[in-house]
Amino acid sequence: MFGHIFFTRIKCLVRDKQLIFWSLIFPIILATLFKLTFANISNGEVFKPIDIAVVSNQFYENDHGFRETMKHVSEDGHGKLFNMVKADEVKADELLKNNKISGYIYLNPEVNLVVKSSGLNQSIIKTFLDNYKESKNNILSITKANPSAGIEGILKDLHVNREYTYEVAPSGGAPNTSLSYFYSLIALACLYGGFLGLKEITDIQADLSKRAARVNMAPVHKMKMFAYGILAALLIQFAEILILLGYLSFVLRVDFGNQLPYILLLSFVGGAAGISIGTMISACIRKGEGIKIGILITVSLISCSLAGMYYAGTKYIIEKKAPFLAYINPATLITDGLYTLYYYNTYERYFLNVAILTVLSIIFCLITYLIIRRQKYASL
Amino acid sequence: MIVKVNNLVKRYNELLALDHFNLEVKKGEIFGLLGPNGSGKSTSINCILSLLKYDKGEIQVFGKPMSPDAYDIKKDIGVVMQEVAVFEELTVYENINYFCGLYIEDKDRRKALVEEAIEFVALKDFRKFYPKKLSGGLLRRLNIACGIAHKPKLIILDEPTVAVDPQSRNNILTGIKKLNEQGATVIYTTHYMEEAEQLCDRIAIIDKGKTVALGTKEELKGMIKIGEKITVEVFNLVPEALEELRKLPTVDKAEYRENILVVRSKKGKDSLVKILEFMNSHDIKFGKMYSELPTLNDVFLEITGKELRD
Repeated sequence: MFGHIFFTRIKCLVRDKQLIFWSLIFPIILATLFKLTFANISNGEVFKPIDIAVVSNQFYENDHGFRETMKHVSEDGHGKLFNMVKADEVKADELLKNNKISGYIYLNPEVNLVVKSSGLNQSIIKTFLDNYKESKNNILSITKANPSAGIEGILKDLHVNREYTYEVAPSGGAPNTSLSYFYSLIALACLYGGFLGLKEITDIQADLSKRAARVNMAPVHKMKMFAYGILAALLIQFAEILILLGYLSFVLRVDFGNQLPYILLLSFVGGAAGISIGTMISACIRKGEGIKIGILITVSLISCSLAGMYYAGTKYIIEKKAPFLAYINPATLITDGLYTLYYYNTYERYFLNVAILTVLSIIFCLITYLIIRRQKYASL
Repeated sequence: MIVKVNNLVKRYNELLALDHFNLEVKKGEIFGLLGPNGSGKSTSINCILSLLKYDKGEIQVFGKPMSPDAYDIKKDIGVVMQEVAVFEELTVYENINYFCGLYIEDKDRRKALVEEAIEFVALKDFRKFYPKKLSGGLLRRLNIACGIAHKPKLIILDEPTVAVDPQSRNNILTGIKKLNEQGATVIYTTHYMEEAEQLCDRIAIIDKGKTVALGTKEELKGMIKIGEKITVEVFNLVPEALEELRKLPTVDKAEYRENILVVRSKKGKDSLVKILEFMNSHDIKFGKMYSELPTLNDVFLEITGKELRD
């Protein structure tokens, strides 16, 4: 009996085009739109070499050390800091005036910086020049005090930057602000599993559909019908989440780090929560299927917006102002679980989220079953 | 008794849908529930099937009390709903197989039964079709196949021919006869008196949630005083002549509207001859004239004062 009902339910779910659209195609479309929208945000975070000019006067040409340093930091490659052009003072002034460069350097013989305004680029140029001056003075001081010191050794040591703190990246992922939006999207896809749950109840609740009335006439316990249907929905939902994660990872190149088993576990539990919400809405609300779908979409979107799908800051505002809401909002729990995996090196918070989602799913399923069990209907 | 219903009362808020409704269906018969729309036919069926809460009364099926958990009873019941109750996502074969599989676990037996049901409703050429590709008549046949594939001892059909073309309707009625001949007891609800007359061994006429008459079609017709209905096309019937006609001893009721005279005569009298004589003696010109025996509609009309299709 299990196989008969289970596999038929799978067929019914997979062949329902509207259902597949909302639970799979829609999140994929949304993910693609997110990727297109957030591409610029990510690009904004990438460092671009700063346009500067150096006044090519007698002092500059004679200062071998400074020339070599500038050449080194302007060479193409990983450490490129500046896009440098050499110009006379008039030309450099003109470039600065026309915003073609962030500033220009001239030597007299001291190293000087000319800028038009203050900003990040100007600060970087100034910091670089201050660092250069400090290093130059250090070398001069050392060689003056100890002429026998090897200049090459000192120069070599100058390139060694010793860090006294180090980064811990348990997931191996690079920081990316757009990730929180994709986490919310995964949460939305999980909650849209509610469509599957809604359909399962519609197909076994006699007052919701005629086919369900016929199913109710069969000599099969309602608990069995409910459980087998939910299992089928869970399988389909998990498969859909796998497809979405695959699309995000391999097609859109969203970096989720290296915590795949944990992401899958969270998606599975999140999907179960979504399905159970759908079953509960379907059982509780004695209205037409269209109204139920509308309510489910509204609940999912509110849940996801509170988890930061439309504005990442919402999640933190809710956590601060209404922490209880954050603990019972499935979308927040899923989003937070993924966030935790990505940024933290402990699993405590992750497993707390998984546990709460599991408990919520069980509660929603119990409520559903208590409503639908042994029910006769006031009207059909 | 296959089905026994005692004093069933069902209310929808203020509306009394079943008013101390009683019913007894014997083994092997085709039992008709005849009544106009809203008379309580579907409500009584849904109560019998334990799909609907009722306020008062007792229902027994196969001699046992019926309840939502009465799986030993349910396994021998087949239901054909008024509306088509199939899965849009499953093909004809898959639909019948799914519903049959809820009753029959053995795969080989189920396969044979599904094939038999497909053959029975003549859907062999459509087995791989999805319901939305089927015409109304074919859908009805699929609906029936889903209800009867597991070979139930009791088949309940709730207006299965609504919105069905005449050819499909005849096929359905012939099929139901065949199922009955194969040993199934059938409860058939309809508001088409012709169907009830053609198909049912016994008929309960219900109105406003009550059984107003019960018996074979002959017994039901015997309950009323009208013997014959005579319809005459008349062109010059003056009111005085109509009044005189009404006074004839054989006439129970006479109405004249738009050149049509309808005379309902009393049982056992030679009305037609008497009316012909009256026409000739009063020099009343008439066109077509025909006589009909009383129908179940007349039974319903006499008992309730309204037509079945009102």
